[in-house]
Amino acid sequence: MIPLEYFLILSAALFCIGLYGVLARRNAVLILMSIELMLNAVNINLVAFSSRLAPSEFLGQIFAIFVITVAAAEVGLALAIVIRLYRNRTSVNVDEIDIMKW
Amino acid sequence: MNITIAIFFVIGIIALVGALGVVASRNVVYSALFLLLSLIMVAGLYILLYADFLAIVQILIYGGAIVIVIFFALMLTRTREMPLRLDNPKKPWAIVASLAAFALLATTTALTHWKILVTTPERVSYQVLGRTLFTQWAVPFEIASILLLVALVGAIVIARPGGRE
Amino acid sequence: MPSINLPGMEWAWLIPGLSLLAFAIIVFLGKRLPGKGSYVAITAIGLGFILFWFVLKDLLYSRPATFNVTWFDVSKYSLKWGMIIDPLSVLMLGVVTSVAFAIQVYSLGYMKGDPRFGWYFAVQALFAASMLGLVLADNFLLLYITWELVGICSYLLIGFWYERRSAAEAAKKAFVTTRLGDVGLLIGILILFKQLGTFDMSTIFQAAQRGDISAGILTLVAILIFLGAMGKSAQFPLHVWLPDAMEGPTPVSALIHAATMVAAGVYLVARSFPLFEVAPYALDVVAIIGLLTTLIGSTLALVMTDLKRIIAYSTISKLGFMMLALGSGGYAAAMLYLMTHAFFKALLFLGAGSVIHSTGKQDIREMGGLWRKMPVTAVTFIVAAIALAGLPPLSGFFSKDEALIAIRDAQSPVVYLLALVAVFLSALYVARPAFVVFFGRLKPENAHAHESPPVMTVPMMALAFMSIISGFFVFNWVGPLFGLPAQFKGFGAFLFLEHPEAFHFDVMLAVYSTLIAIAALGLGWTIYHKGLISPASIMERFAGVHRVLVNKFYMDDFYQAIINRVVLAFSNLVALFDRRVVNDTGVNGTANLTAFAGYRLRYHETGKFYDYALAIALGTTLIVIVAFLVT
Repeated sequence: MIPLEYFLILSAALFCIGLYGVLARRNAVLILMSIELMLNAVNINLVAFSSRLAPSEFLGQIFAIFVITVAAAEVGLALAIVIRLYRNRTSVNVDEIDIMKW
Repeated sequence: MNITIAIFFVIGIIALVGALGVVASRNVVYSALFLLLSLIMVAGLYILLYADFLAIVQILIYGGAIVIVIFFALMLTRTREMPLRLDNPKKPWAIVASLAAFALLATTTALTHWKILVTTPERVSYQVLGRTLFTQWAVPFEIASILLLVALVGAIVIARPGGRE
Repeated sequence: MPSINLPGMEWAWLIPGLSLLAFAIIVFLGKRLPGKGSYVAITAIGLGFILFWFVLKDLLYSRPATFNVTWFDVSKYSLKWGMIIDPLSVLMLGVVTSVAFAIQVYSLGYMKGDPRFGWYFAVQALFAASMLGLVLADNFLLLYITWELVGICSYLLIGFWYERRSAAEAAKKAFVTTRLGDVGLLIGILILFKQLGTFDMSTIFQAAQRGDISAGILTLVAILIFLGAMGKSAQFPLHVWLPDAMEGPTPVSALIHAATMVAAGVYLVARSFPLFEVAPYALDVVAIIGLLTTLIGSTLALVMTDLKRIIAYSTISKLGFMMLALGSGGYAAAMLYLMTHAFFKALLFLGAGSVIHSTGKQDIREMGGLWRKMPVTAVTFIVAAIALAGLPPLSGFFSKDEALIAIRDAQSPVVYLLALVAVFLSALYVARPAFVVFFGRLKPENAHAHESPPVMTVPMMALAFMSIISGFFVFNWVGPLFGLPAQFKGFGAFLFLEHPEAFHFDVMLAVYSTLIAIAALGLGWTIYHKGLISPASIMERFAGVHRVLVNKFYMDDFYQAIINRVVLAFSNLVALFDRRVVNDTGVNGTANLTAFAGYRLRYHETGKFYDYALAIALGTTLIVIVAFLVT
């Protein structure tokens, strides 16, 4: 049986790579992809905990299903926003979208 | 080291490589392909965790739907700006922040004494999962479907041509 | 036989409560009510007067009691609303409700047609409520609250005709002057609270009698409380506001500035008498201030020409006399004097008001021979004047003799002699307006003068009746006459349930005090009526003295100088501090600092996505690390 810690470390690494992508990228679509990585890391955690700590209730799996659903909705909306943005400003670089400040 | 753990390492390393490819590639299309690779490896992890249903869902939704949508988005937003600069100026700070977060998570994982209750993990049958989802979790399920509907309508409204351009 | 169904002592809170309700009704609905709500106020105080009899009856057949409800608790202290029902408070209830009722009825005629008729009755009702609350209060906190409430009512009513600058100034002067005393009262109450942790009167008095408070602090507290009484009761040197307070409507002067509110100081000292008894020197201070006040008041009353101011100075002198009696230990005498004085002094003011209402003048030199035009006013005024002068068998005679006996027994012969001088002077100064206004030749410009309507004369007649008979309450046969229990023989026995104080009657003293009064009246007759001795020639002979008196011992000028030199200079300093430190540095400085900080900091709000995301990521990590390290 694979130890729980392996999954946790893997998921942490995946999460932090995603975090790096969110922080370092300037293309909005790339940022969205990094967010998907982070969500997957969370899902791995959920399923691993569920499987190792209380498999008969499989709550983690149920949760993961909902997370995937929400992620799908989020991607759909976010990409719609990106497309709209591109049409308005011919750019999807987040550092060029900075008018909502003082 | 038994065979499952070896498989785990193979899958995990491929997943991490894919993830690194997503965030480091200089070509957005390669990034998307790396993402697909990484997500499919995560599905493999689900199988190692005896979550077959979730693995199928992962491949169907992520591999089949989300990545495709991302490809479309990339296609529709091709910029002609050359040379393509994909990283923002705060990159060093991003490295610091993500390494710090990883250090924190890894330390926490290592320091915590996990009470493992299960020695032989068991597979959850599709029937049981489906029945639970439609009985005990029926209301959240319906709410999730409404959420999807709202997101669908919202995406159409936002992306539709017209209005104030 | 007292029945359970009849209202008793526990209903006493309704007496002020009704007037408070009347105040609220008039303020909110007064414009739509008949008579602008005046009848509401009169009904409320009338019902209060009726309730007073039930409370009195209940008190006579049972023991004094206190009732209270907890207002709120602050840690171990609890603040209460409470009332004390004992002979002292019930006596005050009777005086206040009866006089206030008479005067409110009188006001219907006197204030007729005034543009703020409704507001006048609203404040009258509020005054009645606060004054009745004041006499019922069983703790010093409630007493102080109502004390300030009567002060604000006094302020509102003195300045009732605030369009007149002099009225507004007089209201301000009264408010500020009494405030000086009130601060003393508040400090005294707070010292008591710090010492004993309670505001409750009976607890405080018991502790003081047991000797739980050191003599020094007790004296300090007693004198501070007396300072409050000095302000309210217009005692020297805080008496300067009372003559100016005559700018208010005359019924107000009668009710507030003669019969009730100014007597609150006397009541306060009487109520706190257990404190004064055990505090060394405190009673001596009361006596000395009282003596000074009565002499100053009665000398100044001799030279004033304004009818109301003559009576006002007479009030000051009589309040001083009560304080002198209190300071001499004549508790019952002072309270008897308070009661009789409330009746005859209110009557004097109502008579003066009737004259002013009819002639439109206030200067007695422009009056004369008015008794033919207004016989009822003349007769009642003269009754009140004789009562004040102290001729038997009117009420003033008994109260004055009781007070004189107390003074003779407690004080040195010099003080006693000066008190007799004050008695002489008071008969003389009251003879002057009586003779000058009502006798002599009728001036042609006053030919149109007429008697006041019954709504004014009937209350005057009622008060005249009380002025005549209220002295008889001292006799021990009064109680049995009405079939009361044995311990309620007369006034002194009624006030002192524990140690009944019998009525003293000293024939010698009665004879020569009466002779003094008659002599003074006779002198007044020769001077002011017959003109055998011309007032003008006296004025010339004693020009220096007269000048000092007309200028009221230069006390107003002295105060004005202090205000100009000290108070205004200090105020300028405070204003400077306020402008520079509080405004420029504190208020504007804070605002400028905030604006400057915002001006510099806003450039850190880049609007760039990754800056915010980085802050969130680093911040979250940091918070978790800190939480991890802390736990």
